[in-house]
Amino acid sequence: MAFLLRQISRSAEGREIVRPSRIEADRLTIGRDPECDVHLTDLAVALRHATVERSGASRLDVTAEGGLTLELNGRKVSSGRIELGTGGDIRIASHILRFMPTPAGSDEIAVDVERVTEGEVKLSKGDERMFSLASRMPSKRAAAWLLSILVLGLFLAWPIKAYYDRQNEQAIARKFHADEMWSSGSLSRGHAQLADNCEACHVKPFEAVRDQSCKACHTKVHDHANPFRLARARPDLDRWGKVKLAFQETFDIPPGRCVECHTEHEGKREMPVTAQRFCSDCHQSLKSKLPDTPLPDAGDFGTSHPEFRPAVLTRWNGARPMMQRVSLAEKPRENSGLKFPHALHLSKTNGVAQMARRLSGEHGFGQSLACADCHDGDPSGTRFEPVNMEEDCAMCHSLAFDRQGGTVRTLRHGEPAQVIADLRDFYRASPVAPPPNLGGIARRRPGEVMEARTRIQFTRGAGNPGRAAQAIRAVFSPGGACYDCHAVEARGPMDFRIRPVAFPVRYLHKGWFDHRPHQTETCESCHKAGASNSASDLLIPNLASCRTCHGGENARAEVPSSCAMCHDYHMDGGAPSMLIRQRVRGKKRDTTIAAAAPRGRGGGGNGR
Amino acid sequence: MASRWIERTDLGQGASHEGFLRHKRFRWLKVALLLSIAAVAGYAMIDVQPRHNGGSWYGYTLGTIGALLILWLTVLGIRKRAMTRGRWSLKGWTSAHVYLGLSLIVIGTLHTGFQFGWNVHTLAYGLMMLVIASGIYGISVYATLPKQLSDNSAGFTRPQLIDAVQKLDRQLQVAAQPLGVADTGLVLISLDDDPFRGGALRRLSGSYPNCRTARALAALRQRSASTSGPQADAAEAVVKLLERKCAILARIRQQMRIRALLEVWLYVHVPVTFALIAALAAHIVSVFFYW
Repeated sequence: MAFLLRQISRSAEGREIVRPSRIEADRLTIGRDPECDVHLTDLAVALRHATVERSGASRLDVTAEGGLTLELNGRKVSSGRIELGTGGDIRIASHILRFMPTPAGSDEIAVDVERVTEGEVKLSKGDERMFSLASRMPSKRAAAWLLSILVLGLFLAWPIKAYYDRQNEQAIARKFHADEMWSSGSLSRGHAQLADNCEACHVKPFEAVRDQSCKACHTKVHDHANPFRLARARPDLDRWGKVKLAFQETFDIPPGRCVECHTEHEGKREMPVTAQRFCSDCHQSLKSKLPDTPLPDAGDFGTSHPEFRPAVLTRWNGARPMMQRVSLAEKPRENSGLKFPHALHLSKTNGVAQMARRLSGEHGFGQSLACADCHDGDPSGTRFEPVNMEEDCAMCHSLAFDRQGGTVRTLRHGEPAQVIADLRDFYRASPVAPPPNLGGIARRRPGEVMEARTRIQFTRGAGNPGRAAQAIRAVFSPGGACYDCHAVEARGPMDFRIRPVAFPVRYLHKGWFDHRPHQTETCESCHKAGASNSASDLLIPNLASCRTCHGGENARAEVPSSCAMCHDYHMDGGAPSMLIRQRVRGKKRDTTIAAAAPRGRGGGGNGR
Repeated sequence: MASRWIERTDLGQGASHEGFLRHKRFRWLKVALLLSIAAVAGYAMIDVQPRHNGGSWYGYTLGTIGALLILWLTVLGIRKRAMTRGRWSLKGWTSAHVYLGLSLIVIGTLHTGFQFGWNVHTLAYGLMMLVIASGIYGISVYATLPKQLSDNSAGFTRPQLIDAVQKLDRQLQVAAQPLGVADTGLVLISLDDDPFRGGALRRLSGSYPNCRTARALAALRQRSASTSGPQADAAEAVVKLLERKCAILARIRQQMRIRALLEVWLYVHVPVTFALIAALAAHIVSVFFYW
């Protein structure tokens, strides 16, 4: 009984090397132990891995050591048997033992032992490139292609498709459109609702935004000036300006578009404040470009602004007040038709002040009269209401001349014919001379001298036969109730007329002035009323007065002021848009947002 | 290949070698600085209404310069394949690539007018900055890591390191023969180990907490403490071999880590450059499309 072992290995060239041996035994031990009959050097093989024992004429019993396994004819088992007639394979780790078919009763069993995975080398010297990261990374070229296609698809093709999708949409859908990824910034607050509607402004691809798009909605904004004159007024292009113009023409961008100033996609904010240069580029030397312009040249407010030219009531055409724009440098006089010395009324020591104190309980005066006692602001606080006789003067200047029981009769203000009639009637009805009080027909003016004068006037009228006529003449004569405030025209012996009176409510029509943000100042710090003895003094503060606080855009003045603080490019009668925007934002300067007054109206309401 | 560009003037090879950073006494550094200063000065002095942004004339100018620069800088990828000398030597070209690439930080940022958003424009800017940042990283590792690489190799070439592992594996095969199957199982774990196993992240971190050889070593040490007889000697020999293998593996891994750190920037720099050019194209087309 013997096993004929053939240990087969292969040379580097693949040639088979066979080492035969013969083991005379019924039992064959297999293991890594050199003492085993079949010595397998594989470390996965146990020292004593298995035994193969002849158990009959044609049968071999195969048994693995306790707990170990082997592969018998491809099946993993711990024990089994091989029919010698058909032969069989045992595989242990990397070795295979082939038991050749043996006729029953044969004494010799041939077994081939071969290491099947021999020659498998895990490492080679060529693996040097495995040190490089390239062995573990996708190729750079593939990544480059992938990323480029991804970016082009997502950020170029998809938005272009979105543009054409929009063309086919019936209504502007609020869904995401890929071309929103092209938007360089949010639209301003005013245009926020156009965020989903790119074509509202970008009408045609590759065509710069045109003014027509703006004017489709902004129908009421008027031009700054006649476009032809505007073009002529522009400063000459320097070489750089010509280069820019050439570029604009190359890229089909018309000059002077709305969007040059009204830039968009700058974020959720309002238009930035217009820089002074924007105005001064043309207005600094407007005369040289447009010799016929009535506008004086104007630049920086602090250094090159012309003196204010308010619309002053200079003369009358019959009953019509005639307004004329006159520079304050010419010291214009105002012809309101009223006599009113501000200094007298604002004195802190004279009889007016005494009377103010006496009437303080009734009208809320202070120690003397103040501006606000007679001048009332308009509801917006921007300007002042015209002075009104009944409300503002009559607190002191009563026209009462008679008292019947509890009823006080007053002369009709503004109706001289009625005054004459009332006085005639009074003297006819009361032959007894003395009127109920000294104030009678005279204004109740304070002070001993005034009272005495009124008494004399009255006595003159009462003591003479034509006393009614006397009283009427006295009223319309110096010292009389009408005469002291109004210009009286005597057209006949008993025909007196009062010249009409008017006050402009707005003097500066081309610039904006708002009293409300100036409330920190006293009235007299700008309006020199305390030193004015005549109503014809124009108390509008001049340029120098404003410059005590306001300077040019970049001045170190208390209030640096660009042109836009008082003027507007698209001007209407209201506040400049810069101030409105700042007010809306709740920032910086306060101003009044009032409906614009109709343009071109000269004077204000008429006071009487 | 990396160390080729690095300063060697101090190493006594003569003044003939001048790194690309110092090329022609920093000629391109000066050009780039001049360009950047001019761009900043222009930004500060030119009063663009109503404010600086990419759409002002100055913004368009900077944008055009920037886009042309990006395209020119990309051409280095082709230019580098031809080593030439002379006025427009590859070294000079590389020097210009580095310094002009850095000046793009200034030009590109000023072109934005500091207006950023979630849009294609900022995407292009972000990609550009990513490319530049990876380039800066590349320059910095080229300046420091090659020295580490040669220090770490301790005179071994890479094939020698592989060879060492193979020899140790063969010795382990032999030395472990007397061991029982439980012990040899551990040795096999180490033998089956591929020194180059692990992905890019593992390479970059250089940390291999699940190293099979280290695991086998730890387990065998524990077992060999309780082994006696002839097997104890074999176990001891195997433990020593595994210790040597661990040391060699550590060296290989350190080599791979340094190589990875040296090479990884190109995997950002190159693909993102092409993504940047694509984004740039989208950026420019979008501006003119909605003009």
